[in-house]
Amino acid sequence: MKAFQYATAHSPDSARQLVADNGAYLAGGNDLLGLLKEYLVTADPLVNIKSLPGLNKIEDGRKAWTIGALVTIAQIENHADIKKTFPGLHEAASEIASLQIRNVATVGGNLAQHSRCWYFRQRDVKCLKKHGDLCYARSSENRYHSLFTGNDCISPVVSSLATTFAALDASAIVLRDGKELRWSMAELYAEAWKNPYAHNSLQPGDLIVRVEIPTARSRSAYMQISDKHAFDWALVSCAAAAEIADGKMKSPRVALGSISPVPHQSEAANSFLDGKVLDDATATQAADMILKDAKPLEHNAYKMPMAQALIRRTLLKLKGDA
Amino acid sequence: MKEPEPEKFGAHSRRTFLKSLGTVAATTATAQVKSVAAELEKVNAEKVIGPEAVPVTLKVNGEKLKLLLEPRVTLLDALRNYSSLTGAKEGCDRASCGACTVLINDAPVYSCQKLAIEAQGVEITTIEGLAKDGKLTKVQSAFIEKDALQCGYCTPGFVMSVTALLKKNFHPTAADVKHACAGNLCRCGCHPHILQAALKAAGVGHAAKTEIVNYA
Ligand SMILES: Cc1cc2nc3c(=O)[nH]c(=O)nc-3n(C[C@H](O)[C@H](O)[C@H](O)COP(=O)(O)OP(=O)(O)OC[C@H]3O[C@@H](n4cnc5c(N)ncnc54)[C@H](O)[C@@H]3O)c2cc1C
Ligand code: SF4
Ligand code: FES
Ligand code: FES
Repeated sequence: MKAFQYATAHSPDSARQLVADNGAYLAGGNDLLGLLKEYLVTADPLVNIKSLPGLNKIEDGRKAWTIGALVTIAQIENHADIKKTFPGLHEAASEIASLQIRNVATVGGNLAQHSRCWYFRQRDVKCLKKHGDLCYARSSENRYHSLFTGNDCISPVVSSLATTFAALDASAIVLRDGKELRWSMAELYAEAWKNPYAHNSLQPGDLIVRVEIPTARSRSAYMQISDKHAFDWALVSCAAAAEIADGKMKSPRVALGSISPVPHQSEAANSFLDGKVLDDATATQAADMILKDAKPLEHNAYKMPMAQALIRRTLLKLKGDA
Repeated sequence: MKEPEPEKFGAHSRRTFLKSLGTVAATTATAQVKSVAAELEKVNAEKVIGPEAVPVTLKVNGEKLKLLLEPRVTLLDALRNYSSLTGAKEGCDRASCGACTVLINDAPVYSCQKLAIEAQGVEITTIEGLAKDGKLTKVQSAFIEKDALQCGYCTPGFVMSVTALLKKNFHPTAADVKHACAGNLCRCGCHPHILQAALKAAGVGHAAKTEIVNYA
């Protein structure tokens, strides 16, 4: 790690001033310290944002819940009312990494984490994402990469929270130049869809302050498949959310992670599911629509049947008991 | 001078405000002493420090450790290389193996992925802080009794994870232990014995009845 200057911010304004053009925000540090150790980012200075007031709270509301950017993943996992209100979010949180990571990892840091592509993470490789000429994954090891992309980089978004927030139609509230921007998950990652250098749509100095989740969908579910059964990234993750009335789905949404630079969603599939009774045939049809136009690569075609199965299972899980 | 509203009390205004007050103000204006002192503390905290070594005070196993550290030094390095607490081990140095697990306010965290400078003002417990007066804890004894180690490199981390679990959950199931220890890896493959040791330490069931877990 290169030596750096360090400061603790006590207000979003001072955080913004301290971070200036070349600094970085430090939250749980799980991702950032890894990047610093590999010389992949500079932090001059490193601005600890964990003392920003009021951002470590989960607040319920009739229409929407607010989750502060500094809320840890463990806080979400252990919150009894989250488990009741947004079961999918509870499931996603409890599968993220390990207890040691969940105890310190924050919602903001989880959403803003950088690519896990091994070429990106290797300090000596200068691939396209690091302003080199080539995407090495395209012609080499692409087992963990995307089925969809809008640019030459095929590194997928891996935040399990983003997948779930997308299905719940949650918004990230981002502070830019003193103004609050309200972004859907699609907008939070839109830049990564078109720009190979981007990990998300955040610009230097942008601060995620909270996430707002509408309570409109009382059913939600999350499932992932990994190489290992615990403490591993998802090969594919899937979240679904809906209201169910008289056995029929209302405002259903499905989102997938680890297969695209953005949480992958299909508006066509969401409308198709609206008003339908959930059964195996309907879920299978939706899965086909969601995966339409996928472009499997040499080593990641296995993700197609995996995603198919996950979409079906996650949707059917929505039926639940009650 | 009218006090600015708290939310409009940005870093710059606060800094200039305090500068204009000077330090005398803190000793004279009795009614304001407390709030000014708190403000002064905040301003200092917002100062940019480093990259050279700065004073860092850690509270480890109930004792204060006063160190001079560059801001980039991790908690693990501070413990192992800047003091003599080598119980927490460095495996991956990338939040991926658990050998460096310590407790912060009783919650297990990876000390390799945390800066020492941000671990001030919290209670840090390392493996060295468990045994009291030479007497091993139940968890430590159970690891020996159940032969839950070979090379021992992962052991301090596992012991910390199990210790944290048993503080919160007195009667864990095998699944609870696995969930709590998922972030600790044992290259020697002692996981089944570690599971038995954890259940033994909790006094849960009889070890012989414990499922032998297939970790394949
Ligand atoms: C072995 C392993 C397995 C993992 N498995 C999973 C998994 O299955 N699913 C998953 O989702 N994650 C997984 N993770 C990733 C982990 O969850 C993230 O690294 C963590 O959530 C990042 O949060 P943090 O608070 O530690 O962020 P930090 O490391 O502090 O920050 C990460 C990035 O976000 C920026 N940032 C932080 N907060 C803000 C903010 N409020 N506004 C703007 N920018 C901000 C930082 O500047 C930095 O660039 C895994 C990690 C490891 C090491
Ligand atoms: S997928 Fe993206 S990050 Fe990975 S090698 Fe290609 S350009 Fe680099
Ligand atoms: S050394 Fe910290 S997790 Fe491996
Ligand atoms: S006993 Fe050797 S790594 Fe666990």
